Amino acid sequence: MSQFRSKKLDISCFINVRVIRDHTKRKVFEQYETQRQALRYIIRNTTLPQRARAQAQLQLSQMHCYTRFTQINNRCIEGGKSRGVLKDFRMARFPFRINALEGNIPGVKKASW
Amino acid sequence: MSVPQSRILALVKLQTTLFSQTFNPLRLRTGNKILRQRLRGPSVAAYYPRRVATVKDLQKAYRHFDEDMETWDEEEEDRIEHVALVKQRGKGAPKKKRTRDESKKNKGKKKPAVSAAAAAAETKL
Repeated sequence: MSQFRSKKLDISCFINVRVIRDHTKRKVFEQYETQRQALRYIIRNTTLPQRARAQAQLQLSQMHCYTRFTQINNRCIEGGKSRGVLKDFRMARFPFRINALEGNIPGVKKASW
Repeated sequence: MSVPQSRILALVKLQTTLFSQTFNPLRLRTGNKILRQRLRGPSVAAYYPRRVATVKDLQKAYRHFDEDMETWDEEEEDRIEHVALVKQRGKGAPKKKRTRDESKKNKGKKKPAVSAAAAAAETKL
């Protein structure tokens, strides 16, 4: 949502609405992670009063969806694609192949035996 | 050879103090699992490469040395040239609408031609 988006662009890769959105979600997740974990702790702790746990449950479910980790999706930094992204290289399979063949990615070599 | 329960409990208690764990012989669900998890926010937020200095930033940073310093930004020049070309062909972006009425002018349903014809007939009468 736009209320979380930074006013100035702070990433330098392939820029796309979806990339910006994902980046915003990541930052929001980082900001609210401790709060979420605290609420989760209260919910899971059976030694606490039932009322407090129920309240924590409610509070957690009412938090903004951008604070949730499941909203985050790894995207390609070369083309913004969300499918076929190699996690270690943050690139989709095709840009990865091209960069690897050019020798831009250290330690990656085409297999041959 | 059987070891009394109390001895085992004492051993476990000592173990928990040594390894800084929580002593929980009744196996209650205390949610400690969540407190043990590490925070993954920083690594998650660092996924996309951050922006380092751009040409514009450099220009801004060095402007106070000399106001008339000659600098160039090839990408910006290309962009401006492209915009000028497009405008020449009449394909540029429309002018920004400043007021509410201006922006509303060309929006919504087109008025049916029938009513216009009827209005014309009325004026004739």
